[in-house]
Amino acid sequence: MSQQPRTTERRPTGIEGLDRILEGGFLVAGVYIVQGPPGAGKTILANQTCFHHAADGGHAVYVTLLAESHSRMFGHLRRMAFFDESAIPDRVYYIGGYTALEAEGLDALVTLIRGAIQKHKATLLVVDGLISAQESSPTDREFKKFLHEIQTLADLTGCTVLLLTNAHRASGFFPEHTMVDGVLHLTDELSELRPLRHIRVLKLRGSAPVRGLHSLRITDQGLQVRPRIETRLPHDAVNEEEAAAGPKLPFGLADLDEMLRGGVRPGSITMLLGSSGSGKTLLGMQFLSEGVRRGERVVYFGFYERPEAILAKCQRVGIGGLKEGVERGLAQFVWHRPVEGVLDELGESLIQTLRTARPQRLFLDGMEGLERAADFPERMSHVYSAIAQELEALTVTALYTTETRELFAKNIEVPINGLSAATQNIILLRHIEHRAAMLRVLAILKVRDDDYDARMREIRITDNGIRLLDTFAGESGVVSGGGAAGETRAKEAEA
Amino acid sequence: MLPTKASILIVDDEFGLAEMLREMLRESGFDVTLAINGRLALEILHEGKVDLVLTDMMMPVMDGAELAAAMRSDDRHRKTPIIMMTSLPTALPQRDRLFDAVLRKPFTPDLLLETIGTCLAKADQTATGWSPGGAQEFDGGLNG
Repeated sequence: MSQQPRTTERRPTGIEGLDRILEGGFLVAGVYIVQGPPGAGKTILANQTCFHHAADGGHAVYVTLLAESHSRMFGHLRRMAFFDESAIPDRVYYIGGYTALEAEGLDALVTLIRGAIQKHKATLLVVDGLISAQESSPTDREFKKFLHEIQTLADLTGCTVLLLTNAHRASGFFPEHTMVDGVLHLTDELSELRPLRHIRVLKLRGSAPVRGLHSLRITDQGLQVRPRIETRLPHDAVNEEEAAAGPKLPFGLADLDEMLRGGVRPGSITMLLGSSGSGKTLLGMQFLSEGVRRGERVVYFGFYERPEAILAKCQRVGIGGLKEGVERGLAQFVWHRPVEGVLDELGESLIQTLRTARPQRLFLDGMEGLERAADFPERMSHVYSAIAQELEALTVTALYTTETRELFAKNIEVPINGLSAATQNIILLRHIEHRAAMLRVLAILKVRDDDYDARMREIRITDNGIRLLDTFAGESGVVSGGGAAGETRAKEAEA
Repeated sequence: MLPTKASILIVDDEFGLAEMLREMLRESGFDVTLAINGRLALEILHEGKVDLVLTDMMMPVMDGAELAAAMRSDDRHRKTPIIMMTSLPTALPQRDRLFDAVLRKPFTPDLLLETIGTCLAKADQTATGWSPGGAQEFDGGLNG
């Protein structure tokens, strides 16, 4: 019944993420349905594609059927960066088709569209309000005939056609979907109080689209589509042995480096697991500071404390060199507000930062920031796995913090997700009550395929930096709280 | 005072707008006819008396500029005032000089009536009617 587009040549939408999902754009002479509820972004998507096409030297015709008036549409589009009024009317042309449709039916509409394509040498056509054409059709068969004529017209002229509709069927069955080359579905929903927009390719002939839901955002730049981050990253196996063959990366804390037998392996991922205020962030900053001191490139990627505040805190406790590292171009700080984020936006920011900066060291502060931005929590395992693979592929040595819920819990729960599975090392930081004092403690829980010192150490943050103390030598059960006091007290006094 | 019972031809393809304008102008005492593109407008012009044309710019088959060019090259309609309605603020001198006035959408009914009145009055007073390049700028999108 339907005809295949005659070439595999594509017309990009100019929306980078969407073009990636569509394998480069819409097919020349392809006919596509773009559907979704009012406000989902259909009109913006279509107009953005028109103006991009015009900027590329093409000609677009936009036909409205019982949609918003052109002046109202222009009023909304005017704030969008892509809207270039100088392209109207020579390269982007707007006409109303409803009057003809109502007066003389679908045949008149086809005649109007054919005339407009010919007259304006259109290589892109948008019909906004397909539902009106459908409702004007006396039978389903007549509507299918209309679509068939549009297909034929597209095939004859090489014009790509976008049909916009907000059609909703209780049956969930859309017969017109069988007659077009592709169907894009846009959604606009609330997740608790958070608005979430997505785009999904329901059908795409002649292509292997990236399937599933992808994040969509409407900004003054127009529509921004971010393919799910886990679909974008390489899946090639990384030779871990080769990656880990280089010299270890120390923290610059003699005691800790000794416990780790020199530091962490290059390309490894280390979890800093601990309660709030246990010193995770400062330990991560110490790791970056040591990297800068060695002339390495380092990246901080965080969600909670602002970089300025963290840098000021580092200065206060003697973790130096980071500010100078920024000035020398060795250190880069990326911060995202932890609310209203979009997981794929954050993931893309992280990946782009890593690919651009090519750091040796990464400190990802507050993994919960990523989780809070997740539209669907069940995605997180895949997202973490993908990030881990990217880190390995780029041979980035990464530290990330994960917060334990309880300050003094006897049992420590190590979160199991895609990233923890790829995590080679786990360092625990927490508070304990010890001899009527609250102390911070550090212990290495895991170092994959390597020796390490499993002793528990007190970690003390002083004005001159981070220090590890042997406070608990000879004691047992310190963390679980059930242990007996040992014979020695730490020698912190002389320290 | 506006010359009433003047005959106005509205040329617009956007559903609703033309009908709305027709009602508004009828209530103000004008005879009003509708056309949904320039070619149908020309047919109506050839058939009978039209005192003023109020046209959209972008339309199927024949647009507002093509309609104006056809009228200016036809002795029967050369002097008929033409007001162009557009949603675009960008002025195109080559195109706009074909019209007696350019009304930027959205416009108020008062501005529409004022523009129509000005154009009809000018057409009455001038022997030659429209002349190329003779446009004047007025506030509110009115070129005289």
